[in-house]
Amino acid sequence: MSDAPISTGKDLSERALAAVLLAPAALLLLVIVVYPIATLFFSSLHTVDNANPAAGEQWAGLANYTRAFDDDRFWHSLGQTVLYIVVTVPGALIVGLGLALLANQPFRVKWPVRLGLLLPWALPLVFAGLIFRWFFEYQTGIVNDVVVRLGGEPLQWLSSPTLATAAVCIAIVWKSSSFMALMLLAGLQSIPRSLYEAAEVDGATAWQQFVEITLPMLRPAIFVALIFRTITAIQTFDIPYAMTGGGPGEATETLAMYIQKTTLDFLDFGYGSALAALMFVLSMVVTSGYLRYTRRGPSRPT
Amino acid sequence: MKLERRSIVWLAAIVVAVNGFFPAVWILLTSLKTETELIMSPITYLPTAPTLANYQIAFTAQPILRFMWNSLVVAGLSTALCVFVSALAAYALTRLRMPHRNLVMSLLLAVAMFPLISLMVPLFKVMRELGLLNTYPALILPYAVLSLPVCTLVMASFFQDIPPDLEAAAMVDGCSRVGALFRVVIPLSAPGVFTAAILAFVNAWDEFLLALTMMNRVSMRTLSVGITLYQGEFAFPWPLISAALIIAIVPICIIIAVFQERVVGGLTSGGVKG
Repeated sequence: MSDAPISTGKDLSERALAAVLLAPAALLLLVIVVYPIATLFFSSLHTVDNANPAAGEQWAGLANYTRAFDDDRFWHSLGQTVLYIVVTVPGALIVGLGLALLANQPFRVKWPVRLGLLLPWALPLVFAGLIFRWFFEYQTGIVNDVVVRLGGEPLQWLSSPTLATAAVCIAIVWKSSSFMALMLLAGLQSIPRSLYEAAEVDGATAWQQFVEITLPMLRPAIFVALIFRTITAIQTFDIPYAMTGGGPGEATETLAMYIQKTTLDFLDFGYGSALAALMFVLSMVVTSGYLRYTRRGPSRPT
Repeated sequence: MKLERRSIVWLAAIVVAVNGFFPAVWILLTSLKTETELIMSPITYLPTAPTLANYQIAFTAQPILRFMWNSLVVAGLSTALCVFVSALAAYALTRLRMPHRNLVMSLLLAVAMFPLISLMVPLFKVMRELGLLNTYPALILPYAVLSLPVCTLVMASFFQDIPPDLEAAAMVDGCSRVGALFRVVIPLSAPGVFTAAILAFVNAWDEFLLALTMMNRVSMRTLSVGITLYQGEFAFPWPLISAALIIAIVPICIIIAVFQERVVGGLTSGGVKG
């Protein structure tokens, strides 16, 4: 234990072992992430003539990027993606916080509440999209049934651009809020009961307790939940794909959907790669912004 | 006062449960209806003449059992690969003295934040060049990577709680370091390994974009993509789609019902520790 030479020898072999144990993960990341991303930027600077594919990839310079700049459909899908982020991130946070507060009651039988939060999380996004499409059907959907029962006129949910966007947002908020709730619930349960007891002795109302104790104590959990939600919101694909297919027209199409169509339906790999590269940069900017804030944010004493 | 408190608790439970279960219950009811009942106005809530015919059609209209088998193979094998690789990485990151530990951790987390769609385009080309389109590895490999960060984090947090003395004792008894990992650390953190496996499995089972891209042959479609094949171009036979959805969500419902505490623990452990 006390002699240094042996411990440095051990250090060296530990380093070697660490490298060996990390190698499989590194190899997978290299093949599945690093190499493809590198070729993505390469492809985005090239173009393939679909009439003459044998010629292979031709150098195109920044043509694919300048094309994006003039492409209305790109700007619209980007705007739509931003809209989904701006609406569903706070939306899912508010609904998720509500669900977490409800789920934090002292239940004697815990499974209905637990499964009530887990099922929306475990349900594939496409399934959620399909189910909500069924909810919003004009003639046979349950949403319009409720609207009519409340004395309203049935709404053209999926064929009006505005209503279709709203319907997609509702579906996304439903699907993502339960995962938020699970994360916030763990945060709620780590708040010491004694804080509330002390506040009660001081005569604080339930609302005061919520604002003065719950929210500040929950800040780190809220922050992590927001990061997760934002990162997934940038990539929104499955739910609008299943609910509207991007329609009516291209009204509800997200950037991810446009990229997928460009590459797989139009087989335009050069342009698709340029759009995917733009998306990559966009999400890296958002992520690094968040990470910079994390490094200061939650560690800062409140 | 006491009674009021109890009824608030009841109300809270009902709201959360209804919010979570309602969509599943609604498609279950729909799956028992006929097309004729469906277009009745006003719509019926409970099926007037429940029928299982939609389930029969769901099994024959599309090879749904084949879809399920594909999902099972892809999710199962990618989970096994992911858990194995992340266990090794988590051990190196928690138990061994190594340089740049934090850098490696951050790189791992950065991967978790990559947009999948950006990866999809070049990955499609890579898989096409390797001739792997419409084969299981085309999904198994990316899915293993997809869950690598979360699995590593979950297992690392469990490995940290195992006293180093136990490992030292095993090594005194003639176990190698790697032997100690497989005979002491992994068995003792079985709950963590298990939690990581469930998360990886559900992630793979639910994935849609890559499954849509890599497998265009019907016989290789996974469940999440296969379900979308029940709709016609303009027609949505909702009772049939609902029956197929119910069949498709049964396996995932069983998993979360049986392992609910594990899943909740695993989902939140990554989050709270950040």
